[in-house]
Amino acid sequence: MIPKSRVHRAQLALLLLPGLLVFALFTVYPILRLFWMSLCDMSFSSMLSQPFAGLSNYREIFQDQTFWIVFVNSMAYTLITVPGQMVLGLLLAVLLSGIRRFSVTFRVLNYMPVVTSWVIASLVFRYIFNTEGLLNYFLWKVLGVTSSNIRWLDSRWGGLSVAMILGVWKGIGWNMVIFLAALQQVSKDLYEAAEIDGCGGWGKFLHVTLPGIRGTILFVLIELTIGGFNVFTSIKMITGGRPAHQTDTLLTWMYYKAFSTGKFGYAAALSFVMALTLALLAIVQFRMMRSRDA
Amino acid sequence: MKRLRLSRLRGALVRYVLLGAATAVFTLPMLYMISTSLRPNGALYEYPPRFFPRIEALTLENYDYILHQSKFYLNFLNSVLVSVSTVALAAAIASAMAFVLGKFPSRGTRLLFAFIIVTMIIPGTTMIVPQFELATRLSLVNRLWGLIPFYVAWVIPFSTFMIKGFMENIPGEIMDAAWMDGASVLKVYFRIALPLASPAIASVSIFNFLTAWEEYPWANTVINDNSRRTLPIAIAGFFGQHQFTQWGYVFAMSVLTLIPVVLIFILCQRFFVQGLTAGSVKG
Repeated sequence: MIPKSRVHRAQLALLLLPGLLVFALFTVYPILRLFWMSLCDMSFSSMLSQPFAGLSNYREIFQDQTFWIVFVNSMAYTLITVPGQMVLGLLLAVLLSGIRRFSVTFRVLNYMPVVTSWVIASLVFRYIFNTEGLLNYFLWKVLGVTSSNIRWLDSRWGGLSVAMILGVWKGIGWNMVIFLAALQQVSKDLYEAAEIDGCGGWGKFLHVTLPGIRGTILFVLIELTIGGFNVFTSIKMITGGRPAHQTDTLLTWMYYKAFSTGKFGYAAALSFVMALTLALLAIVQFRMMRSRDA
Repeated sequence: MKRLRLSRLRGALVRYVLLGAATAVFTLPMLYMISTSLRPNGALYEYPPRFFPRIEALTLENYDYILHQSKFYLNFLNSVLVSVSTVALAAAIASAMAFVLGKFPSRGTRLLFAFIIVTMIIPGTTMIVPQFELATRLSLVNRLWGLIPFYVAWVIPFSTFMIKGFMENIPGEIMDAAWMDGASVLKVYFRIALPLASPAIASVSIFNFLTAWEEYPWANTVINDNSRRTLPIAIAGFFGQHQFTQWGYVFAMSVLTLIPVVLIFILCQRFFVQGLTAGSVKG
């Protein structure tokens, strides 16, 4: 039915062309260039001559102690914030799906952190977690659970914890909305059947809800893992990598290497290691979710 | 029977209490930001810190400063310009691509679409080094409109993915009728596909607006001049400027920056949820 004349083809190409050009120039070319840069000895001083350096950038990365620190930081951030957001988001979605009044109000208010920009949310958290800030005052003087002001932002795990708490706080709303939509797709008949089989609330959740939203769980898992490795602005704003790169993540470390020390080759190799790690994780997650089908 | 109703009631009560607690956790930090922005700047280091400002000390002096003594207007205008251009260009480019990819399936278009989706795995900021080099070559560094092509490129994969799903649902009969009448591809696109896909384009556009409105790493890398800054880097710059952060100014500026976002979010709530869930539930 679709016409096949030359004019039609030309018009199809015309519609496709702008997107292809933008995609090729600003996405595909940088990816290829990234790979090439990672194999070159590139820095500020040698912008013009870029001697081929083989895998030396990669070797340098794996011998670099700081790399392992920031790698563990990124991993820890992802391993804690991703399940944290998913569990709490799903919990809120389940709670929300069972009420009639104020459902929209709750949904809108809980989603506010998601639309708040990272820069602003990070600064608010930095202010709250300040050593002389509101949270310490509340913990020490009001609740009495601590006996001095905690210097949250001055240690590796303290600073990372604040970033993680922010990450979870800001992401729950997104999980909630997505899971809520998924819950509404689960067939009511299945719940009734489970009830007849004698399943309680918890049993229904395990045997009907969770299998019913498995596709969504996989989608959220992959999206959030990418997001976890993409953490940048909150670290920059809250700790700036202090003390001494102890709280840097893969991206902020890569950024520092590129734009503060001018080691573009090293930074490119680091980016590539990151992209590969993510691709591997995505494959593993995909496999794990699929294999349970059998 | 009575016991059943009682347990239902208790269940509902638990739900409302938990949801209320969660909502408090989500909103209190934002309220604290607003309350801090309404205090005199000198009082920010007062100890003990207080959540609510003293009523008699409430002041708009931070807002006065931001609106009259800083380049806020300029930063705001820059952000509007960049975000609106990104939205318009991305909508035009992505919907045209989505139309071809969704309505004219072939081995080539399928491969292209798969390729576009795969690139979504790589977080945008990872490519900042080669993109910076590219921007330098194209002399897009420290230019406001230099931000736009990169933002457009970032949002195109997701936008195309979303709009394509919508295009596929346009009934084939409508288009067949148009072909019979001898309509051209362009005519079918502009007269039939585009109007029918407009809800998807609208919801994608909200996301694209927010992305451009809040983008920090890239803008921070390529923009140096204060007068060319967008809002996120202007706020971050304000924060880093002094030895002692002027939190009142920082938060007054933040509140002003958030107002359009909150307005758009509340007004377009329906499109928002639609757009969010379209990609996720199918799987």
